Amino acid sequence: MPQPLARLIARLRGLSRRRGVASELDEELQFHLAQEVEANRARGMTDQEARRVALRDLGGLTQTREAVRDVHSLWIEAVWRDVRYAVRALRASPAFTAIAVAVLALSVGVSASVYSVVDAVILRGLPFSEAHRLVAVGEQGADQSPGALNLVAPQNFLDWRARQDVFTGLAAAAYAEISLKGTGEAFPENLLARRVTANFFEVLRAAPMIGRPFTVENEVAGREHVAVISHRLWQRRFAGAPNVLGKRLPGQLASFEIVGVMPPAFSYPVGAAEPVEVWVPYVVGPDERVRGNDFGYYLQVIGRLRDGVSIERAQARMDQITAELAAETPRWFTDRSARVEFLQDYLTRGVRSWMLMLLGAVGCVLLIACVNLANLILARGTTRQRELGVRAALGASRGALARVLLTESLLLSVAGALLGGVLAWLAVGFLRASLPPELPRVALIAVNWRVLTVTMTMAVVIGLALGMAPVFQFVRPAAVAMMRQGQRTNTGDRRSARLRASLIVTEVALAMMLLVGGGLFLSSFARVASIDLGFDYRNVLTVRLRPLVLPPNAPPGPSPLLDVLESARAMPGVETAALAGGGLPLRGDLMTHDFTIPGSVPPRDGDIAMNQVSPDYFRVLRIPLLRGRAFTAADRPGSPPVVILNRRAAGMFFGGDAAIGQVMNWRRQDLGERTVVGIVGDIRFDGPENDARPQAFVPLAQTQTSAATLVLRTTPDAQGVLAGIHAAVAAEYPEGSAPPVHIDVQTLERHYSNLVAQRRLNMWLLTVFGVLGLGIAVIGIYGVMSYIVAQRRQEIGIRMALGALPSAILWSVIGRTSRYLSLGLILGITAAWALSGTVSGLLFGVNPHDAGIYAAVAILLSFVGFVAALVPARRAARVDPLEALRLEV
Amino acid sequence: MPKTDLLQGTLDLLILKILALGPNHGWGISTRIRQISREGLNASQGSLYPALHRLELAGDVRSEMKPSENNRRARVYTLTAAGRRRLETEADSWERFALSMRRILQAD
Repeated sequence: MPQPLARLIARLRGLSRRRGVASELDEELQFHLAQEVEANRARGMTDQEARRVALRDLGGLTQTREAVRDVHSLWIEAVWRDVRYAVRALRASPAFTAIAVAVLALSVGVSASVYSVVDAVILRGLPFSEAHRLVAVGEQGADQSPGALNLVAPQNFLDWRARQDVFTGLAAAAYAEISLKGTGEAFPENLLARRVTANFFEVLRAAPMIGRPFTVENEVAGREHVAVISHRLWQRRFAGAPNVLGKRLPGQLASFEIVGVMPPAFSYPVGAAEPVEVWVPYVVGPDERVRGNDFGYYLQVIGRLRDGVSIERAQARMDQITAELAAETPRWFTDRSARVEFLQDYLTRGVRSWMLMLLGAVGCVLLIACVNLANLILARGTTRQRELGVRAALGASRGALARVLLTESLLLSVAGALLGGVLAWLAVGFLRASLPPELPRVALIAVNWRVLTVTMTMAVVIGLALGMAPVFQFVRPAAVAMMRQGQRTNTGDRRSARLRASLIVTEVALAMMLLVGGGLFLSSFARVASIDLGFDYRNVLTVRLRPLVLPPNAPPGPSPLLDVLESARAMPGVETAALAGGGLPLRGDLMTHDFTIPGSVPPRDGDIAMNQVSPDYFRVLRIPLLRGRAFTAADRPGSPPVVILNRRAAGMFFGGDAAIGQVMNWRRQDLGERTVVGIVGDIRFDGPENDARPQAFVPLAQTQTSAATLVLRTTPDAQGVLAGIHAAVAAEYPEGSAPPVHIDVQTLERHYSNLVAQRRLNMWLLTVFGVLGLGIAVIGIYGVMSYIVAQRRQEIGIRMALGALPSAILWSVIGRTSRYLSLGLILGITAAWALSGTVSGLLFGVNPHDAGIYAAVAILLSFVGFVAALVPARRAARVDPLEALRLEV
Repeated sequence: MPKTDLLQGTLDLLILKILALGPNHGWGISTRIRQISREGLNASQGSLYPALHRLELAGDVRSEMKPSENNRRARVYTLTAAGRRRLETEADSWERFALSMRRILQAD
């Protein structure tokens, strides 16, 4: 049998018989002792003397036993023994262990999760081949901030495409929706789609995995009903059938022949929460091929830079092209230019500063955690000097001492890192669910394993490194020798005390910064949330009814809608119901229309946002009527045309209440001349952060609008309202006999939530960070002051013995703490003041240098710091001088 | 009686040699080392027993508990064939080492 194997077997056998081995060894050693005693007696010593001399000459029995045990134990056993001892030592100081593990876990968890989010949203490249060559091209008006990149008019796109030579291709995409009919196997549904030029897939270098993309031949009316579908849609609606090519997508308006299926990894726009599932050919309408089309900007244009072409050169070429076009059609092109931007930047532009702020805040928390950990471990190392000294006196070598400390640090770090990994996984899940869906690539947020491994490794390394510090401090040979003699290393003491004091000051400063951030964002959110919108959005259900095609012979007008309104009003659970032809607050948009005020001197005109509403509209949304009257059923086609203004409009055009009875004349035919009969309160149509606009309302019945949104105020627990609506609509617009209706249901409350979601998240995150930072810093203060008190027990004892009052001792501790606190506060305030300017863009209605917030935070931090120091201070005051002096080390 | 601490490898060699003279227990080995070296060398209990156990794990000796006088059991060690081979090799290199040392120390 080969030697190493035999050895291993012998050892393993020894392992299993360990207890037997130990008792046999004892027997062996006893025999040895007995023989030695015999020999001594033979030399003439007495029994007692013989035994004493024998014991003296043979040396320590325990050491022999340990030495033999070491021979028999495997390497693993020694490690296991170290681990068990370390666990016991850590359990003996539960506060330290818990805090250290918690701090490590938080560091790993928080940094890994936030980094995962930032990575998915900003840093990770687009999932296309050579994605760094992809650019977005948009329009920029002279009056806009530099960096704006707007959607493009079709003719612009065509011109650019024809004249450019710096891109391998320019493609365009337009937003679309396709409403699918229900078939035997599948329900009707609304699909998000894009109309794209044929070279769209080519520019992205993404090809369908089945079939082919459409070609330029499909960009012609009559041949454009082909589609490329997403992998998800293929699975969901066609069960992944291999013969899907040639099958049709049954849209309400047209049926599309499927010519290709994209692979599962493809998505454009990248990683949106609600993905696009169909791509159809984009056809430029004949009336859009006009330079000077003032309201048809809707194309997103992307391109791929040619090899060797830099983005600057591409921008220069586009500027040239724009200049050429301006020269050819000067009236339209003045003040407009084309802008080229990397696609990656374009998609993430809005959130970049937000993400950076998050990273900054996380960095602060991490710093505080590290500083705290360093403090904790240093303190613990110092207080264990005596224990280490005893071990050294018992014969432990330098390496053995180092091994003890290292095992402990390793255990702590690994435990902290693992816990942190779990925390990161939970946090990422939570963040993905709670981030606003408009954030780019939300769906792609996942735990970044690379980052997690890196942070966990870092945690272990940091834990080890910090744990090594006491090793270096105390395991120098001189220190070991001194410990053996029972002294302390004096200079090391003073140096470490200064170090720990500066660490405390740093912690306080960082905590101050975080708390100021938390305060600012909290204040910002509170301001947004407290804004009175001017209407009540709670318990309001909105149902958008949009007939997709207007029947050729039916009279224009809202009469079928009004019938649906009647049915809705009668439903249980519905308090009030109304219709609105234009957009609703918090969603949608209003069209503005030009008007003049006849008979005004000097002649006045303007334009104003308009909405067509049924009489109960103001009641549903609880918009107050300020003057005059609201609409009634009497306002019908044929009765005098009327209009209601909001207070802003009344003030702007008529100076206030004088508006009642005035006449306004709209250019649009179905609006015409109308008399003002009422004034209602202002509402913030675009959400809490935008001011109220001037607005005008006309009775829906007096217009020819055929699409409107049903607005219902429901009782809080209304059920079955939705089913009732569907039934009413089906009754009014039965399938097959009238145009198909597209239905879209939402609650206003949800829209409000979405609008403030970002702010709410910021507030939540920053407050959590602030509290975390504060908690860790406070623990640090408590720890340091406790340590200092413990170190100085003798000195305190002497002082008290010499007549110092306990209260004086208490105040001296508090005084020392306040020195650290004030220094830290000053540093923190300065740093926060300097940095808060950078986040002012993310705040609403809050001055980043709001002295009130700074003062409040400073007071909070001081108060908490003093409370933290109080416990050790009282402990110091209660020192018994006799005890302290007796404790000679 | 100067007590010199012995290096681990040297002690192993001594033990092997003593056992080559006949199986023995720990005390016997220790006594013989003192005797034969005329008190020049001494193996402390704290180094002797670990060395014996190590040699056994390495397969150079084997042992068993044997009853001895006055009702105690002693662990008696015996040299194995592998141990004999090791003794020859190491004794040889030790001799060469000692010779080289002597040559240098006696140079002038």
